[in-house]
Amino acid sequence: MLSPERLALPDYEYLAQRHVLTYMEDAVCQLLENREDISQYGIARFFTEYFNSVCQGTHILFREFSFVQATPHNRVSFLRAFWRCFRTVGKNGDLLTMKEYHCLLQLLCPDFPLELTQKAARIVLMDDAVDCLMSFSDFLFAFQIQFYYSEFLDSVAAIYEDLLSGKNPNTVIVPTSSSGQHRQRPALGEAGMLEGVEASLFYQCLENLCDRHKYSCPPPALVKEALSNVQRLTFYGFLMALSKHHGINQALGALPDKGDLMHDPAMDEELERLVVRSKLHRTPWQHRAKEPGAFGFQRREKQEALERVSSASVPTPYHYRWEPRE
Amino acid sequence: MDCQDAVNCGLHLVIQTSSLPEKNKVEFKLNKDTSSFPGRLSQHDLERNYSSRQGDHINLVSSSLSSFPILQRSSEEKILYSDRLSLERQKLTVCPIINGEDHLRLLNFQHNFITRIQNISNLQKLISLDLYDNQIEEISGLSTLRCLRVLLLGKNRIKKISNLENLKSLDVLDLHGNQITKIENINHLCELRVLNLARNFLSHVDNLNGLDSLTELNLRHNQITFVRDVDNLPCLQHLFLSFNNISSFDSVSCLADSSSLSDITFDGNPIAQESWYKHTVLQNMMQLRQLDMKRITEEERRMASVLAKKEEEKKRESHKQSLLKEKKRLTINNVARQWDLQQQRVASIATDEDRKDSDSAQDPCQIDGSTLSAFPEETGPLDSGLNNALQGLSVVDTYLVEVDGDTLSLYGSGALESLDRNWSVQTAGMITTVSFTFIEFDEIVHVLPKLKIKFPNSLHLKFKETNLVMLQQFNALAQLRRIDQLTIDPQGNPVVNFTLWKYYVLFRLSHFSMQKINGTEVTQNDMIMAERLFGILAHVASSELPQYRLISILGDARKKQFRYLLESKGKKPGIINEENNDSKRPVGENTNRATLNYTTREFYNEKLEEIKEKKKFCKTYIEDLVKEATEINMKNEALQKLWPQMFIELVRDAVIEIRNKNSYMKLCLQQITDQK
Repeated sequence: MLSPERLALPDYEYLAQRHVLTYMEDAVCQLLENREDISQYGIARFFTEYFNSVCQGTHILFREFSFVQATPHNRVSFLRAFWRCFRTVGKNGDLLTMKEYHCLLQLLCPDFPLELTQKAARIVLMDDAVDCLMSFSDFLFAFQIQFYYSEFLDSVAAIYEDLLSGKNPNTVIVPTSSSGQHRQRPALGEAGMLEGVEASLFYQCLENLCDRHKYSCPPPALVKEALSNVQRLTFYGFLMALSKHHGINQALGALPDKGDLMHDPAMDEELERLVVRSKLHRTPWQHRAKEPGAFGFQRREKQEALERVSSASVPTPYHYRWEPRE
Repeated sequence: MDCQDAVNCGLHLVIQTSSLPEKNKVEFKLNKDTSSFPGRLSQHDLERNYSSRQGDHINLVSSSLSSFPILQRSSEEKILYSDRLSLERQKLTVCPIINGEDHLRLLNFQHNFITRIQNISNLQKLISLDLYDNQIEEISGLSTLRCLRVLLLGKNRIKKISNLENLKSLDVLDLHGNQITKIENINHLCELRVLNLARNFLSHVDNLNGLDSLTELNLRHNQITFVRDVDNLPCLQHLFLSFNNISSFDSVSCLADSSSLSDITFDGNPIAQESWYKHTVLQNMMQLRQLDMKRITEEERRMASVLAKKEEEKKRESHKQSLLKEKKRLTINNVARQWDLQQQRVASIATDEDRKDSDSAQDPCQIDGSTLSAFPEETGPLDSGLNNALQGLSVVDTYLVEVDGDTLSLYGSGALESLDRNWSVQTAGMITTVSFTFIEFDEIVHVLPKLKIKFPNSLHLKFKETNLVMLQQFNALAQLRRIDQLTIDPQGNPVVNFTLWKYYVLFRLSHFSMQKINGTEVTQNDMIMAERLFGILAHVASSELPQYRLISILGDARKKQFRYLLESKGKKPGIINEENNDSKRPVGENTNRATLNYTTREFYNEKLEEIKEKKKFCKTYIEDLVKEATEINMKNEALQKLWPQMFIELVRDAVIEIRNKNSYMKLCLQQITDQK
């Protein structure tokens, strides 16, 4: 607790860096909103549950986008939640369009902006027709990069533009996010004809950027690794390389490796149970007699459902434990 | 002699009106009793029957002077049959010159090959001319025969009625079996009683004015489609229209105005095949005594009038129906147009919401208790009514509500208000299908609670052009009581393009056990697949949410439902109580899905707006706490730093104080006394 780094920072900044204040504010806000319900079972319990859920990464479910993207931990939790909930879609082998993935995102976060999904899709499709079908894993990894490092990527885009147009990168000032977005889309012709920019030069600029960073960026060493094999690269080529790099994925810690993407034994077990129950639930319905309790199924259904609800506070098994960064 | 016998028969011309094709002998019965022939020919002639089987004993001498043969008769014959001459079946190709017979009255050229009427202009006393079955192509050469009464030109090749101007005494004109296409040039024949135009090429009948004596008109076996001018024939009694092309009574409507007609035939026309044929004819022609050669009985007439009334009713009814249909179509088109405009506006992010409101002038639809469609009743005469209705409808109506047996159809967002109306229990109970078209889904969501209450038996929902774009929107349907079938029309609903939409619907609305989606049966495998795809989502949504969030989300949804109910039915507490009970009971919904809700965009934004205030407050509150905490922390740290020094000083001070025992004791006692 009394580590020297902690004492090095002034108090407020320390708290801000750890995003403690964000969570505190949000907790109090939630408390205010649901005053009547929470007062029933006590404020202490509320805070316990709240911070438990923050630890488990379930606090971002069905929350507004501004909260979901507020802290890196939130973003990681969101990515994880998305993976867990829709892994089955990927497992099924369906290829979906960008819009459909966006729908799935919206199921978890109702006001998730379309732009981010579009940008993620562009990474996968290398800026080609945005209506193509994408596989779950491709999309997910690209989305991870785009969502988690979105501010970083905006700056990278600006740098890339500058390099393309031949400006000296060292004089580039980190742009604001709005101009970054504006310049994010390199003209199709340019990217196609030129072979992007020289890798080493590009990397130097990135290193500078990382040094100056105010927001999270991928570990520079890993970025260097990603760029080591190529002489020149395009912007989307670079992003694609990032998204496919295992090391960066692991450093983020949200998603399992690509090979294990479809594996989640605990959830699969759970799913089987659900499927079996739905099978049982369905067949008697079709031959159902007038009174509901005839086969006893419905009663059991209710009880189990109630049990389910009350188990919210029990932490679920968490195989890929999120390691606190730093 | 045979000839003699034959000649001794009286004048016997009978017009046979049978439809036998081969032997269309033209015979005209002229009996003393027949009143139709008021003694124009003398009795003497009437009694003489003139059989036309054999020709007279004549000699045809070909003259070298002209190309025409010259006729010569023995003077005996001339005296015996001074007024009649028969040249039947004489293989004549031209009319011979007939000299010295200028008082001839009856001339018979039947069954020859004559091509032109010639050489008879001198027979100016001729009364009857029979040219049946020849090859005459044009009526000509008759201009001097001013006394002619009977002209028989059947079975020739005449193409046009002409050159009859001077035959003002004509009584019988027979042109059957020719190639005549038009009735013309007969308007001056005011003494004509019988006109036979059967087996010609007539396509219509008109131009009959002037035939003031016509009693019989034979038009069988033509191609007549309509008849006109018959009401201009004051004496017409018999009209034969068999085997023509008449298909409706309207095309012969002039017949109704003819008071003299008593006998008419229509057999062999398309009209005679119609179910309404007999009674329509009888009803429209009360003066008829005989139809298709059968007498008309009183019973038939009565039946006819009854049936005709029924027909009228039916026609009126169907007219009304088609009127309504037209109105409906126009309204729907109008609504569609409004919808398209709206969509374009949204797409181009134009902000002319105000203008849109003033464009669509809301026309409050009147409710007629007896009919089930929401249109103002048309009571005026139907034809003009149709025009008026269509004009009045043009751009004003912007929504449409229609009840058709078991289907309630709503077009346009204005129609949603109609759910507030007082629907009769019976009507509302019958509705099993509700169809929404050209209405934003988000607007429909607000109305779903009302739907649940007012139309409890609605099991099939249809959506077309409702802007369903997100899977999440289906969550809103979970609040209904039950859905058996769901139809989402691809038109105007982009969500259908998603691969997984059906599975999501099945998953989210699994508690309804839907039978069909978009017409396809839902199989067990579909349900299992849906569960497989999204089961984890449900699991996460229920078991991994903290308790307070579960309660707040569920409570939120119920609160919203109540809000809608309260807004609409503030004055009926009974119903609200019922709703209370209803939602407290778990209505069979899988609780683990219940947290998957849908809030329309505007509501969501509203909520976020509301939260902003709270967030600001929280921020300042936390800041204050942080400040306090940091102050305390600072003080703590400062204390940590200063404490060693302070401690030493305390100890030093104490030691200095106690150094001198005696003075210390004195000091303490002094302090104690001071205290008192």
